[in-house]
Amino acid sequence: MKLKRVLGLVLLLAFTAGFVFAGAAQDESPNAAPDANPNQLPRSATLYYGGQQWGAVNGWNPLSDDMNNALALAQSAGGSRTLMFETLYMYNLLDGSMTPLLADGDYVWNAAQTEMTVKINSAAKWSDGTAVTAEDVAYTFVSNVKYVNGQGVGNSPYIESVTAVNPSTVLIKAKLTAAGMAVNPLMLVSYLGSSYVIQKDWIQTVEARNNNEAAAVKKDPGEDVVFSGPYSKYYADDQKVVFIRNDAYWGQDASMWGELPAPKYIAHTMYADNAATEVAFKAGEIDVDQQFIPNIQDLWLKDNLPISTYINEAPYGICVNMPTAWYNQDIAGLDNVAVRKAIAMAVDYDAINANAMTGQSPTFQDVPRSLMNPTPGEQATFDHNAVANLQWAGSDIAGAKKLLDDAGIVDTNGDGIREIDGKNLSYNACAPNGWTDWMAAMEIVADAGKNIGIDITTEFPEWSVYSTVVTAASQTDYDIFMMWTDSATPVQPWGRVRMIMSSEYNGVEGNWSGNWGHYSNARVDELLSMIPIEKDAAKLKSYYTEAVKIYLTDVPSFSLMYRPDKFHAVNESVWTGFPEFEDGNNIPPADLSDGYGIAGLYQITPIK
Amino acid sequence: MKNIIRQVFHSPKFVVGFLIIALILLTIFTYSLINPGDPLQMIGLGSFFKPGTYISAYDSVGAEANTMKLPEADGNRLAGILSDADRISMLQWLTAEGIPESDIDLTDTTGLLNLWDDNYDPSIKPKGMTLAQRNYYSRLNSNLANAENNEEIIIAQVNEETGSLERSGVISSTDYVNVRDIANVKVLPLGTDNFGRDVFKELVSAVKTSLLVGLIAGLIATFIGLTLGLLSGYIGGIVDDIIMFITNLFTVIPAFILLILISNSIGQESRGATTVAIVIGMTSWVWTTRAVRSQVISLRNRDHVNLSQISGHSLIRIILTDILPYIASYVVMAFILQVSTAILAEAQLSMLGLGPKTTEIPTLGLMMNWSMLYSAHLNGSWWAYFPVIMLIALISFSLNLMNTGLDQVFNPTLRD
Amino acid sequence: MNGYRKYFGKKIFWLLITFIFAVLLNFILPRLMPGDPVAVIVAKSAQGISDTSAVKQIYENYAEAFGVDKPMTIQFFTYFKNALTGDFGLSFSQYPRPVSDIVSSAVWWTVALQFPAIIVGWLIGNLLGALAAYIRKGFDKVLMPLALFVSSIPAFGVAVILLVIFAIKLKIAPISGGYGFDMIPNFSWSFIMSVISHYQLPFWSIVLVSIGGQAVGMRSMSIYELNEDYVKYSRFLGIKDRKIVGYVFRNAMLPQITGLALSIGTMIGGALVAEIIFSYPGLGTTMLQAISQSDYPLLSATTLIITLMVLAATFVIDIIYGLIDPRVKAAQFD
Repeated sequence: MKLKRVLGLVLLLAFTAGFVFAGAAQDESPNAAPDANPNQLPRSATLYYGGQQWGAVNGWNPLSDDMNNALALAQSAGGSRTLMFETLYMYNLLDGSMTPLLADGDYVWNAAQTEMTVKINSAAKWSDGTAVTAEDVAYTFVSNVKYVNGQGVGNSPYIESVTAVNPSTVLIKAKLTAAGMAVNPLMLVSYLGSSYVIQKDWIQTVEARNNNEAAAVKKDPGEDVVFSGPYSKYYADDQKVVFIRNDAYWGQDASMWGELPAPKYIAHTMYADNAATEVAFKAGEIDVDQQFIPNIQDLWLKDNLPISTYINEAPYGICVNMPTAWYNQDIAGLDNVAVRKAIAMAVDYDAINANAMTGQSPTFQDVPRSLMNPTPGEQATFDHNAVANLQWAGSDIAGAKKLLDDAGIVDTNGDGIREIDGKNLSYNACAPNGWTDWMAAMEIVADAGKNIGIDITTEFPEWSVYSTVVTAASQTDYDIFMMWTDSATPVQPWGRVRMIMSSEYNGVEGNWSGNWGHYSNARVDELLSMIPIEKDAAKLKSYYTEAVKIYLTDVPSFSLMYRPDKFHAVNESVWTGFPEFEDGNNIPPADLSDGYGIAGLYQITPIK
Repeated sequence: MKNIIRQVFHSPKFVVGFLIIALILLTIFTYSLINPGDPLQMIGLGSFFKPGTYISAYDSVGAEANTMKLPEADGNRLAGILSDADRISMLQWLTAEGIPESDIDLTDTTGLLNLWDDNYDPSIKPKGMTLAQRNYYSRLNSNLANAENNEEIIIAQVNEETGSLERSGVISSTDYVNVRDIANVKVLPLGTDNFGRDVFKELVSAVKTSLLVGLIAGLIATFIGLTLGLLSGYIGGIVDDIIMFITNLFTVIPAFILLILISNSIGQESRGATTVAIVIGMTSWVWTTRAVRSQVISLRNRDHVNLSQISGHSLIRIILTDILPYIASYVVMAFILQVSTAILAEAQLSMLGLGPKTTEIPTLGLMMNWSMLYSAHLNGSWWAYFPVIMLIALISFSLNLMNTGLDQVFNPTLRD
Repeated sequence: MNGYRKYFGKKIFWLLITFIFAVLLNFILPRLMPGDPVAVIVAKSAQGISDTSAVKQIYENYAEAFGVDKPMTIQFFTYFKNALTGDFGLSFSQYPRPVSDIVSSAVWWTVALQFPAIIVGWLIGNLLGALAAYIRKGFDKVLMPLALFVSSIPAFGVAVILLVIFAIKLKIAPISGGYGFDMIPNFSWSFIMSVISHYQLPFWSIVLVSIGGQAVGMRSMSIYELNEDYVKYSRFLGIKDRKIVGYVFRNAMLPQITGLALSIGTMIGGALVAEIIFSYPGLGTTMLQAISQSDYPLLSATTLIITLMVLAATFVIDIIYGLIDPRVKAAQFD
């Protein structure tokens, strides 16, 4: 008994002591010279990211989609991340321009817009010292197609071949329609900014050690990968991943950036969830955070933290897509346009903006609804006046009720819910569990239904269940549900029109591409085939305007809010000089890593 | 029986616990009369309004104005716009721009403001100043625009016919309005949550649901536990082994995991509050079974039981008349504990997003869930989560207190 | 000795049956959950791809790799066969990472957090409970309600409150993680100090929650024992109080030991809340992610570990009881 008591006290003391001493150890000296302690990253030479990497890194193989390596491997038409691997061009979501990276100068179309020529920058080198050549570009494309990965599968319907005319010139041939025109020339431009160029020799090494077998090649962790970008692996485990700058990076050549990027290390700690990431961001342990923080303005208004967003007032960022509520056209009642339009009119979008997006989205008064995102480029693609009378701003309970009454959809048995053919209009509004802004939006849609006599209840299944149901060829479980739309890429707004209304996806099992409500309109399909190849600006505008008119009349789905593709917020306790809105540098709010956003790494400086 | 009840209410612990629960129940039933309406109605556009009294600014414009000359009014007004920290920041900015520190007097507000107006330029980017600091100064500048100006504020409205602004009223700095004269005043004792719902109203409604869930789950769990424990303890042998085996299975697969798996499988559509209660009840009977069983085993060898066995009474009769009354007190206590654990279990399930549906009724766990999702604990909105935690703790505490009190009544050796 | 053999024989028999059933249930239950794990993975790879047959191809590739296209019975036998060699397959949500890799890197954090926390909580709680029972007067009246209240606060409540007070407001404890955000694991002194300092809040949140419960339980048991006849008799005999107390607490300890063993058995899943709030690496967060992403292999493996540990713990308790408490052994032979 006595021993137990003593033991207990000793343990107690030990842990309290640990607490006290460890608390003292909290003050890491900020003046530690870099490399003085290689096991503790020098704070003022390291840039910390947050909100990109969830879970441990599996590998470094750019041929695979399963590496879960967000900072090194992120290929996207909206701007690939070129920290470790590089693309031919960098896409800028602000104006849609393509800045050469591995390429030299602009890309050149042939007269018929069926072939494209790209030159390779002679200064571009791999990490092993050899030069980047057109052969690498060609072999990468061939391998992507052969091994059926995301890039291969996404590009092969539009690109016939990528060949090396000579070591410094690449020829890209588009897939042609029966009429001899390119199926979609814009997809070639998209390819330039999204596909990484991988070294041919390295790919052949991987193929050799995996017997050219697709599954094995894609599972290969690729620890020995050869890269051309400024950063590469320094350390990776379950808790964090750290990149170290390659001081022999070719990009410091005068023809490219002319200098090395500022941070010597780039690190990302794995946090359990959004809340933990937010706490770390507020404490200054994260410099660049890709995360939706509700009421982010309170961080600097109330908490006086040195945190800023790209724009210093609402909407705080550049919104490029519209989370949309889709109507399942296979459900009775939702195939009636009056019901669809009435619900869409009655929703309080200001409440969604205030409660779900906490003001981080332009309102529908600022940017009236259409198929286009709020950026000036897309807004200019259609005639605003022609569709003005079709656009609604929301919270129009009276108008919605009148619409339903005029259509003869009334409440006949006095229970407060309208009926069609004697059946109560009763629907569920669904969003995946844990996606807070989507869940909040669906709650507000349900509320709108209540106000106009339609019974709508919310449901929040887990994502794995939700995605299975939504992507099925046909389903009757979800009546109104949310999904995303495309962000800013070279093929917009055509891509979004296709995603929202194209009938090519109807009846497809495992449909991840769009039109999850299974809407069908022949004229829309016609427009979709004409837009990519139309060169006359006026005709193009009329096509887009017509598409918007059809969308706002038939209401197969409706936008709930505008949203950025990636959120961008910075903490200036260690670094400063981050890109700002209209600061003249034209650097997009892309977390200093995506597309042209990486230019930001060359202009930040440590705080004195 | 009457004696037992009298003893029970003499126990101070029981009485305190009972009073707390009674108070909570009273609040639940009377509050819905005082403040009727849907607790899930979103009244605030925006999240996490602070607790306090909200006065309609629109109505206060038209209300009857009384003139009061208060000496501290100007000072208060200025302090609201220009804090001491702000003054020091202004000093830093001015010295960075080359104004000698001796020229700046922090206590002379007028002088400081004049100096600021003359020298501040939003387009200057002083070296080493972060974007956040620059934004701060530009906000400060716009707030200071009319800091010392106590001129009247003119209220104007758009004329229906001409479409131009017409002066419709004047507010001077000495106008005060009696809060009772204002038509719309809303008191929010606990502010709003992330959806803009009245937290206090939601809390009252949530407690009702959670108590109900606890009650149903507790009843089910106690009933199952009692039956299995009685059978297993009294009959013994192979029946005992089988029931213990099933109990072990339920122990070995952690109850919480089982709960999560079942909740996940049922799916959100059918997950009403009662369903969740049933699920919780069906997975938490293990402890009761074991406890009842050990009690019954020790009772089994008592004289009166042996007597009944010899007399040839049926199994059911023996269990009901000879064993049950002796463990009745134990069962009541077990029930109370089950209710408390069930409420906790529901809260934890909802915290993980596996609880009842969200649009119909609020529960304590759901309120916690939403406040965590919107990082209430990180942005200082304590009213969204702290009252919920305290209420759960209070309910649990009072139930446990009642339990301890009962313990003392039924076990005289434990009395103080 | 003969009696022992019969006793243990029965125990082992039921242990084996429970084990087999547990393994079966561990395999079946996760797969009964709705939700398609392949869909989760495909969602990641297929975003941005608009060509449908291509997406279908990706889907089929993964379905084959996961083995979910084969019937349930074949899946079970493959699973069982592999599990015996320690190969729990590849995780779905972290494909292609092996499950044994994920579990082995996470389990040590959980064990290191839970084991000392349980022991310390148990020790302190029982100490306080015994003291309260012994001293009774003022100490007991204050301690009892306090311990009861603290044990009534839900686990996540304690964790959140500790986080807000110590990490955010007072800033004397780190906010998240297993070690400093700028540290790279090595055996330096600063790294070990960092680990210890990050250990504090999760540790204390678990300890606080268990102290309350232990104290109350121990107090009741002690009071009960203190009023037993043999105590009164020993007092009359003139035996020293100290010695009597020793006997009393040894008897009162028995159910507490059961509780301790059971806690250790379930410790793998018990730190769930603390791990989530403090973003502490460990098996709890892994399990939760596995559930939400329908990651069957990972879920089966983790629940299997919990199952094995609890079974081992209950078996050990039964053995110890059989050896220590003659009453228990006697009751078995009714």
